[in-house]
Amino acid sequence: MKNLMKISVLGLLVVFLFTSCAKQPTQQIDEAKAAIDAVVKAGGDIYAKDELKKLNDDYNAAMDEVNAQAKKLFKKYGKAKEMLAKVKADAESVAQLIPARKEEAKNNALTALNEAKAAFETAKALLDKAPKGKGTKADIEILKSALPGLEAQLAEVQASIDREDYFGARDKAVSIKEKANAISEQVNAAIEKVKGRR
Amino acid sequence: MKLRRKVIALVGIIECSLIFFTPGCKTPPAPSEVEEARLQEQVLWGAGGSIFAPEEFQKYERNLAEARKALEREELKIGPFRNYARVRENFRQVIKEGEQLEALIKTRKASLSQEIESRRESLYDKYKILNNLSLQLNQRGYSRPHLAQADILFKEVDRLLAGLRYEEARGRLDEIASLLKQAENILREQLKRYMDQDQIRQWRQLAERAIEKSKTSGQTVIVISKLERILTVYQAGRPIRTYQVGLGFNGLNDKLHAGDDATPEGEYKIIKKIGASKYGKGLLIDYPNEEDIKKFNEAKKKGYITSSTRIGGLIEIHGGGKDGLTRGCVALDNKEMDELFKMIPVGTPVTIVGTTDPSNKIIEILKPV
Repeated sequence: MKNLMKISVLGLLVVFLFTSCAKQPTQQIDEAKAAIDAVVKAGGDIYAKDELKKLNDDYNAAMDEVNAQAKKLFKKYGKAKEMLAKVKADAESVAQLIPARKEEAKNNALTALNEAKAAFETAKALLDKAPKGKGTKADIEILKSALPGLEAQLAEVQASIDREDYFGARDKAVSIKEKANAISEQVNAAIEKVKGRR
Repeated sequence: MKLRRKVIALVGIIECSLIFFTPGCKTPPAPSEVEEARLQEQVLWGAGGSIFAPEEFQKYERNLAEARKALEREELKIGPFRNYARVRENFRQVIKEGEQLEALIKTRKASLSQEIESRRESLYDKYKILNNLSLQLNQRGYSRPHLAQADILFKEVDRLLAGLRYEEARGRLDEIASLLKQAENILREQLKRYMDQDQIRQWRQLAERAIEKSKTSGQTVIVISKLERILTVYQAGRPIRTYQVGLGFNGLNDKLHAGDDATPEGEYKIIKKIGASKYGKGLLIDYPNEEDIKKFNEAKKKGYITSSTRIGGLIEIHGGGKDGLTRGCVALDNKEMDELFKMIPVGTPVTIVGTTDPSNKIIEILKPV
């Protein structure tokens, strides 16, 4: 009878233990958070925007699972732990992707800069070939006057690359290339016009 | 003994109640507002809450975190003792705040987009005006580098707007505004004499005097209006021929010294006819005249030009093409120069003025800008 009494009290304790004392996976939560923070720090909001959004969503889902289990009498954090571990692993994979993407963006910016420089040099060479001094055609002179503006913007591209704004640098370089190509076309048209008159 | 049995039975009943009834049936479910708030937060984040309403979004996030903490605290309680009424109220407040925030984001996004688009349009209109003007001047364009940079930045703005990168676009528009202001200032400085009514009156008087002289003496005179780039031949006070001309690299400026590439203004006469040169036929004028020498000496005295600077000379009306730029001469197409050459004897008065039009295109274009 005495034993039955003990067992009953023990059973009561077990019930209380299940209903209120199961611990949340705080370590996994912290680790997952830290892994996401590392992605952000590495430039994830620029180079892995979509992945970062997914990581945040997955983290929120894992936290929902944690919260859902916290409500239950018999708390099972196994699934939440798995989800958090996956978030951590995914975040680590994403963090590894970033340097390559950054490098790719840098290379794209450098390629665009080189193309812009080449287009600028082509336009400059064409304008250099055009008649100089007295008798210079006014439209050629006007086109020539634009070159310092292009040169100033080319320097801006390099400045953007130096401060690791690779997408901005690429955009600017593409715009310069378009402008330089337009100048070359106009110079060629002007030269053709002159040839046609002879 | 009997009492013990009763106690054991009672404990058993309590355990059974707790295990089989309380957890499954009596634990109140978490309020639906919790999930609703989670979804709302994602929507607000995706809509760019942190970009378009950063302070409000941060406050919303803080309140949501508080509500979640309150929920967690409640969930630590045993099922039957949980009361979600307060938690539900907290989440409702957050959702309400989120709804207002969503509307605010939409409004700000729309107004930012509209503001940037309309600023772009207005700057582009200004760019077109200045660009056309600098092209029409048909001479060395000191404003061109600024305008070329603005053109490049407009292309960037369009890319940024297509990617909804409003803040970056706004930054580029600020740069464009500054470049256009610089270009406009250069043009204003370069062309201020063409907007000065006193100056225009003086030019008008010069031109009218030449025409009057032609009228009274029956003599042929030449009047050149630099802004319009027109050379008019008058006979007995009546215009008999007009030709389009080209001027110096800085042709709209008044010539002061050698190498300034400006075309002189004033009353001159043809002093020599040159049958053939690199630029076709030529009519040499008597630049510098007394007035030019006086202006040159004053500028030298005031230190505007160095002591080694010379006044220059050999200003002609010649062929070579009206589209060409000169060092200060007036250029015509060869065919037209041949015609003029035949018509004009040595001694013909030549009056060169900036413009005679008191509402000329410079005033028309630059004043409203």
